[in-house]
Amino acid sequence: MALIQANTHLSDVILSEPGIIPVINRFGILLGTGDSTVSEICGKHGLDIEFFLTILNTYINEEYFPEKILKSFCASTIVTYLQKTYASYLHFQLPNIERHFHLLIERSGTNNNLGLMLKFFNELKQDLTDRIAFDNEQWFPSILSAGKGKPTDTHGTVDAWDSTTIEDKLNDLKSMFVIHLSGSYDLNLCHGVIVALITLEKDIRQNDRIRDRILIPIHRSITNSNSQS
Amino acid sequence: MYSTVIIDKDTLRALGLKHLMERYFDTQLVIVQELRELDSNDISPSALFFTSPQCYIAFQDFFIPRRSRTVILTSDNLTDIATLDPRTDESSIIENLNSIISERAIEKSRPHNELSQREIDVLRLVAMGYINKEIADELSISFNTVLTHRKNITAKLGIRSVSGLGFYAMMNGYISESDIRR
Repeated sequence: MALIQANTHLSDVILSEPGIIPVINRFGILLGTGDSTVSEICGKHGLDIEFFLTILNTYINEEYFPEKILKSFCASTIVTYLQKTYASYLHFQLPNIERHFHLLIERSGTNNNLGLMLKFFNELKQDLTDRIAFDNEQWFPSILSAGKGKPTDTHGTVDAWDSTTIEDKLNDLKSMFVIHLSGSYDLNLCHGVIVALITLEKDIRQNDRIRDRILIPIHRSITNSNSQS
Repeated sequence: MYSTVIIDKDTLRALGLKHLMERYFDTQLVIVQELRELDSNDISPSALFFTSPQCYIAFQDFFIPRRSRTVILTSDNLTDIATLDPRTDESSIIENLNSIISERAIEKSRPHNELSQREIDVLRLVAMGYINKEIADELSISFNTVLTHRKNITAKLGIRSVSGLGFYAMMNGYISESDIRR
């Protein structure tokens, strides 16, 4: 899809890329956008339009990743966005997958594969939850206090976790469904689980790009300039 | 590695063809204006070449050995060589491209995804929690051979993480849960 501009109607974007619904929800925007443009909606919700456009455009076009623009945003803006993203994983996306997964197993008779795949899902859910807890409780506060020029002795050594394990495991679970699933299963619920997993996988991939390629370098440069001054 | 090469001085025509090839045929494509701009190391041995009649005639030494994989951009009907009429409508061009490509069956580098017995041996040990060095000792193979097997297993199964491989091995009865070292 072409890049979204300030005068693009948000409804057109959602209709052609429904995958962004959880993303706009994070900014407090709900469905029923009428014929408002992106700039009107940002005005109404008090959002930074440049940031909103950049997030949507990088989400929709995976090849589009304007590092310079992203690094120009304030660290706290990015942290706030990632915190909301994490909240949406914890409160909506993960429980949604879990609920469908349990129903899938319940309605699929004796399919042992699905039970093992649920165990694997629980393991990756735990990895993701641990990383979120670490970011929220240690890493983000360390970035925010470094950004205020506070001494870095309490949080200065906090380094971000590697994000590849979680992405790998999500990819693996997707392969287990798509390539290796055997036995009988409930078609409809299985479709629901796969779609939710693929949505989460894409979301995490996009957010990890922002986390790893934008926030980690910002954090390093703030910490370095603090220690030099 | 490029699997499609367009050699054409008509930039707009080349870009139009590039757009259609990428949109409908999922190909790695490069455009050059002149044959000499091509670096043969970047070109797949089974690549398909699109070029103008002028360029074909000027560089017959290059094209004749590759005649079965060359397509000339012209409205004329030529014998012995494939042609694509750039002046016809879009759907006809796409259909024409489709038959050119399916006849030549552009290679898809997709491995056969059944594991060999040796790969299953390696998978079992990976799944049980052995590290590469231990696997090499256990199976009396070199460390590099273990790495090669692991790379192939991941490519065949689409599973990268150790714990994903563990669950896959359990799903297929290669190991049981109690075999996993913690």
